[in-house]
Amino acid sequence: MMMTSTNGVTAEKSALLDEELDITAPIEEVSVEPRVYEIGYHIIPAVKEEDIEKTVGEIRKAIESSHPKDDRPSEGAGKTTFIAEGAPSLMKLAYPMSVREGEKYTEYDRGYFGWIKFEAPATIVSTLNDALKSNTNILRFVIWRTVREDTRAKIKAPTLREVKRTDTIKSTPRRAPAEEVAAPVSEEALEKALQDITQE
Amino acid sequence: MSNNILTQNDIQHVDYKDTELLKQFINPHGGMVSRKRLGLTAKQQRSVEAAIKVARFMGLLPYVQK
Repeated sequence: MMMTSTNGVTAEKSALLDEELDITAPIEEVSVEPRVYEIGYHIIPAVKEEDIEKTVGEIRKAIESSHPKDDRPSEGAGKTTFIAEGAPSLMKLAYPMSVREGEKYTEYDRGYFGWIKFEAPATIVSTLNDALKSNTNILRFVIWRTVREDTRAKIKAPTLREVKRTDTIKSTPRRAPAEEVAAPVSEEALEKALQDITQE
Repeated sequence: MSNNILTQNDIQHVDYKDTELLKQFINPHGGMVSRKRLGLTAKQQRSVEAAIKVARFMGLLPYVQK
């Protein structure tokens, strides 16, 4: 008896919850708002330098064409705009990466690393992810949510700690004259000294 | 005085590509240094952590330095 009554209560509660959820149903509209993303990618080193630009073009095309079908571009929210780009350059990887090519695995220790920053709705990500995965020229990639501004840090040169220099200043003039005295040696004397050494 | 690098240099966002900056947060073996030693805020430590993990995945930083 107890069990049935509690079940009845939970059923009522869940029904209430469902009604409440129905009120706040249009969640999709929130997700259409554009966000700033960045794709970092490694192109496999087997690609010729002339064809790298072509691969980057494929990535750009994938970004532009990854809109879900139910998107409404008329609202202006579903637009993708490119913000910044880093050209791919060959770099050594911190560790070898292996990629499956057909039936065997190939190991790469370097790759052309580049990145693209763009603005797009969040719905783009899953389709873009699939599109990039299917591209065999891309060794590895990451889609990273970021901000519009340039995030590369401009670090000031590390400031040295202030040290009491009274001792070092006193000691430096003493050393300097000793070096000067040693410096002016005539060439003849030098040759003589060299000859003495070689004769020995 | 705290040795918080991010606050001293006024860095709001940590970039995973910025390996020179991230190298200051890892030890010689490639592991991450604790927040106690770095003096970062909890929020900063989380962002640094995420950036280091992505940088490792992309082969910009090592998982383990031999």
